[in-house]
Amino acid sequence: MGVVEETEPPSKRAKLLADEPNGNSSVRVSRSSVTNNNSLGDLMARPLTTSSSQGRDDDDETTTIGSKGVIRKSEFVRIITRALYSLGYGKTGAMLEEESGIPMHRSVVKAFLQQVKEGKWDESVVTLHRIGLVDDKTVKSASFLLLEQKFLELLRFDKIADALGTLRDEIVPLRVNTKRVHELASSLITPSKFVANGKGKESVSSRSKVLEELQKLLPASVMVPEKRLECLVESSLHIQRDSCVYHNTLDSDLSLFSDHQCGKHQIPSRTLQVLESHTDEVWFLQFSHNGKYLASSSKDQTAIIWEINADGHFSLKHKLVGHQKPVTAILWSPDDRQVLTCGAEEAIRRWDVDSGDCIHMYEKGGGIGPISCGWYSDGQGIIAGMTDRSICMWDLDGREMECWKGQRTQKVSDIAMTDDGKWLVSVCKGSVISLFDREATVERLIEEEDMITSFSLSDDNKHLLVNLQNQEIRLWNIEGDDDPKIVMRYKGHKRSRFLIRSCFGGYQQAFIASGSEDSQVYIWHRSTGKLIIELPGHAGAVNCVSWSPTNLHMLASASDDGTLRIWGLDRINPQSQKKKQVQPSSSNGVLHRCNGN
Amino acid sequence: MGRIFTVELEGRSYRCRFCRTHLALPDDLISKSFHCRRGKAYLFNRSVNISMGPLEERMMLSGMHTVADIYCCCCGQNVGWKYESAHEKDQKYKEGKFVLERGRIVDETSTEGCVDDTRSDTEDS
Repeated sequence: MGVVEETEPPSKRAKLLADEPNGNSSVRVSRSSVTNNNSLGDLMARPLTTSSSQGRDDDDETTTIGSKGVIRKSEFVRIITRALYSLGYGKTGAMLEEESGIPMHRSVVKAFLQQVKEGKWDESVVTLHRIGLVDDKTVKSASFLLLEQKFLELLRFDKIADALGTLRDEIVPLRVNTKRVHELASSLITPSKFVANGKGKESVSSRSKVLEELQKLLPASVMVPEKRLECLVESSLHIQRDSCVYHNTLDSDLSLFSDHQCGKHQIPSRTLQVLESHTDEVWFLQFSHNGKYLASSSKDQTAIIWEINADGHFSLKHKLVGHQKPVTAILWSPDDRQVLTCGAEEAIRRWDVDSGDCIHMYEKGGGIGPISCGWYSDGQGIIAGMTDRSICMWDLDGREMECWKGQRTQKVSDIAMTDDGKWLVSVCKGSVISLFDREATVERLIEEEDMITSFSLSDDNKHLLVNLQNQEIRLWNIEGDDDPKIVMRYKGHKRSRFLIRSCFGGYQQAFIASGSEDSQVYIWHRSTGKLIIELPGHAGAVNCVSWSPTNLHMLASASDDGTLRIWGLDRINPQSQKKKQVQPSSSNGVLHRCNGN
Repeated sequence: MGRIFTVELEGRSYRCRFCRTHLALPDDLISKSFHCRRGKAYLFNRSVNISMGPLEERMMLSGMHTVADIYCCCCGQNVGWKYESAHEKDQKYKEGKFVLERGRIVDETSTEGCVDDTRSDTEDS
């Protein structure tokens, strides 16, 4: 930084700095455009202590620091000083002002603030005019604030005559905020009512309120806004986070020490555990809302609830036996204390998670069985898509509440209620999804180009992930009441015969994961649609995936090979990720064409 | 294997003889006069619930074509083939269409579904 020794009075201070060591020329800004106060530049550079032997006057408006020459040193030091004062390090703040020779506020501003704190209103109005603000309106509004406070304090001490005088002679001529003037006038007449309305507050605390209001009113260069430095740092972190493509870290893990950049190593890519308690294909799995349990259901007619202990190890908690048919789904109640299982075309069962007991069974006679099921958003009812193409709703005790028939051309293969209770989402025709508004009883439709095999709702109920028969996964925006819109498409996985499910996951659900018939798990970046990684390991088609809602780095998958796999971060060797993707898939993803068993 | 996804067709349809999975609608029927080694076959515009095998060049009665065998997605039985492309101009109309063998399908509402399929198990041509 160039150091300019100046003996001339400030008004003639030259602006040139010949020896900027970093090679960037200083910002040559004409005085009037530096701030919006013409006179500011003159007074800015006056050092606080003239006795300092260092006598550094390097607080010229145009000194810059930093490699790009865009940071003005005086501003930089002033916001640091402000931050120090905010953090409570008053001594350090004062020392910084002294040592740098850059006062946080000009002496006239300092005097002004001191007068406001002490309640010397008349003096403060005078000082206000001396600050030299350009905008007349600002001057008037600030004066209004000060005089209003003066008025209120006079009123509080019952000095009615003085208050009236202030109002008449000082406030009214300003001709601003006439509504408030009328309120103040009415308060003279009925002071008790005024106080009762809470407008006559403790005088001390309202002085700091005045300071706050003044800070909002006065330009930032006159009165440095509080928390300015924190604000700058936060916005920088936000920008880094938003530009981090594979961002999958908690906010609490963001550090100031280096620019944030998630690599692919933040995506789960290594099998942590293989869970083998099922004896046949596993068709469905889902983490509980609190991330403490995992539930899986299988063709072996059972479902299993797994418990996750503190180090992320899974153990079997309960095996839910009772269905006489393959269990196509297992769903957590909103409070995670119960689960619903759907036996294919057989019945729906409700189980208690703690005890593992079956509490209730829901069936409909006449050979009609459920294909899909779901919970009511409040956990007080069950919805199911049946084989006769109707949708049934029961309350928890098994009483049938509603049954909708007609218009559907396919068995309702997937059904869900958004967790705010507003929409009932179901597949109503092969390539059409119906979004039914339960209150307004209107229906919106998503019309797809191909048969829909399954869908999945995002946590915020604003997006729907739709799996199509043609191996494409599509993301639809279903927010609000307008027509749904396609947002993104994801391709790469294989599907030709089975019902493969996909899900949202990761930090702010920024990733899409899906199973595939080639035995791999696929993960895409949600907003760009880019395929990030394929995870081999299973020995059969991966039917379903679920990403932990509480652990950003944990993913579970269910496969035809009868196992579940838990995926986590590859901490040992993050570099090996690159190799994994280049190699062709090492799994035996053979498409089975013989007589299926 | 896996939870097989199938589509249901409304009303009368042609179904897989072995597992009764719906395969095609009468509305999509274009021609009944196709042949394969095993007998008669029908040409359809669309077919559902099938999975495709690899593409191969095959010499048919009508010339060289690129075809792929199609299989019922439930039981895996070979039910016919799909024309991917035709080498001769006058055969181009077949492209993208499906042939289902008469001996491998049943017509749900008609009684004509009992064609005997005791022919030898030779390759389609």
